[in-house]
Amino acid sequence: MALLKREEWQGFVRDVDWSYSYVDDEAVYPEWHSGTGKVPREAWQAWEESYKVSYPEYVATQREKELAAYAVKAALQRSSAFDSLNEGWKSVTKMHFGGIALAEFTGVVAELKMARFGLAGSWRNMAVFGALDELRHSAITTFFGHEFVGKDPQYDWTQKTFHTNDWVAIALRNLFDAMMTSANAVDLALQLPLVFETGFTNLQFVALAADALAEGDVNFANMISSIQTDEARHSQQGGPTLEILVEHDPARAQWVVDKAFWGSARALSALTGPSMDYYTPLEHRKQSYREFMEEWIIDQFVRTLEQYGLKKPWYWDEFLRGLDTWHHALHMGLWFWRPTVWWRPRAAVSKDERTWLTEKYPNWEKVYGDKWDVIIDNVNNNNIEATLPETLPWLCSTCHLPAANATQSRDGTWRVRDCQLTYDGRIYHFCTNACRQIFWKDRDNVNHQTLVDRFLAGQIQPMDIGGILGYMGLTPNVMGDDPDYDAWTKDYAGRQAEGIATAAQS
Amino acid sequence: MTAEQGAEDRAPELVPLNAIFATDFTQILVSVTTANTIAEVAAAVAYHVEGKRVRALPYDKVVIHNGERLPADMTVAAAGIKPLDHIAVEYDIPERS
Repeated sequence: MALLKREEWQGFVRDVDWSYSYVDDEAVYPEWHSGTGKVPREAWQAWEESYKVSYPEYVATQREKELAAYAVKAALQRSSAFDSLNEGWKSVTKMHFGGIALAEFTGVVAELKMARFGLAGSWRNMAVFGALDELRHSAITTFFGHEFVGKDPQYDWTQKTFHTNDWVAIALRNLFDAMMTSANAVDLALQLPLVFETGFTNLQFVALAADALAEGDVNFANMISSIQTDEARHSQQGGPTLEILVEHDPARAQWVVDKAFWGSARALSALTGPSMDYYTPLEHRKQSYREFMEEWIIDQFVRTLEQYGLKKPWYWDEFLRGLDTWHHALHMGLWFWRPTVWWRPRAAVSKDERTWLTEKYPNWEKVYGDKWDVIIDNVNNNNIEATLPETLPWLCSTCHLPAANATQSRDGTWRVRDCQLTYDGRIYHFCTNACRQIFWKDRDNVNHQTLVDRFLAGQIQPMDIGGILGYMGLTPNVMGDDPDYDAWTKDYAGRQAEGIATAAQS
Repeated sequence: MTAEQGAEDRAPELVPLNAIFATDFTQILVSVTTANTIAEVAAAVAYHVEGKRVRALPYDKVVIHNGERLPADMTVAAAGIKPLDHIAVEYDIPERS
């Protein structure tokens, strides 16, 4: 018997659906999991992905990708390429492995939720491929990171990070649980495939692939490029979902998209911002974080909004201003609180690096240079103790990142201002106005407690830095330190230093 | 029957605060007690930042709470500073004449 032609069967198999006679539709697709809201149930029948794939095609393509990725890895395993990598770049990869490997597994859960509770057969079909993709991403990231555990115990955090209460892990779990674990299928399709995967994965996967190649880390570039090729397919679950939601409930569509974009932007400013503008060696930087955001994220996001008839988010001006500050402040925070992270943050503020930073961010010296100068003077006066933390930074109740965003006053000075609100008899503090607004609108949601909340609730004992590091799972062989103080302080050695901390007498 | 004690009469209680020191880059957690004076609060916040990220200046420090400058010898309890409140510590730089 001759095989049917592709076009004769694909339309049928990719969209299998039927009416239930023994149970109500609501029992199969409950609102809290499926989330149709104001959209009439039958409207979802119009859901159609633009790029269609069959299971045999999917398997064949994925097999090729896997073979290619692992062949490169096997070849490079025998080389000494890893040993010649810059410590700053290694930190980029440690941050990526720890921050992403199990987030990808949360992606599996998210895709499976859409595969079960998505409101159209074609959507559920596409989500099955998405789940398989995410399973591959979690596996390949964990496996590639595992190779280096024997060389450097910080790589053990590839698998470990999401199982700890490290503050970075809490911040990421907070974002991804809201985006994927607790969201209904409709909100999820907007938050994960539409906002995060069509936009922000470009930042971590495309930008870093270019920097990896420049650095000579072919293995890492190979891995993340292989992952990124899957995103284009399963991320298309967002478009058809948004199209239907906008038609019936544009206010909800706008809110969900706005919120997901903001949360993603905050998290990536901590993850990708320092990687691109500080950890990647100066000679290998392709674009600044701001330039990359403008070219790859903002333009595309605005086009998507226009395409679906949505407006720019209410926080747009605050977001654009943050491109000059958020990741610089977070970099300083990650560096100063370096014992709390599983990589070795390099300060990267030598004279040449500061010239580059000022070229890319004209206000950098005014906002951050004075603080780095004090830190530099302490290092040059052999007072490393004065550059180590003895308390916690205040963590925002929405994004869980330090409340560290300076804004300019009318008199030209830059100050970190408090954004707070009182709810249910308690004061909450936020890093930005938008984080405060999101908290207020979602105030009845169950949110993760920040590390500061946990500390004040007595969950961390003893209540000191040692207790905090222990709570976060950091051991002396893993906790971060600057890999080379001399590299960024020697330009300033011997200069007059006033107003710095007095070294403790030994 | 005992009369209800005022805050000043009770044993000092911990007051964790959200604090910012002058031009520092981040808000920090600083714990004081109801018995601490405002001058001690300023010193407690400055301890984590002054000379470490913000260059020390030869001026007195002032604590600002709810938009008001607090007297240096007032206690936390008397000033009405509550747990989780925000305070800013600034150098009291004389205005140029």
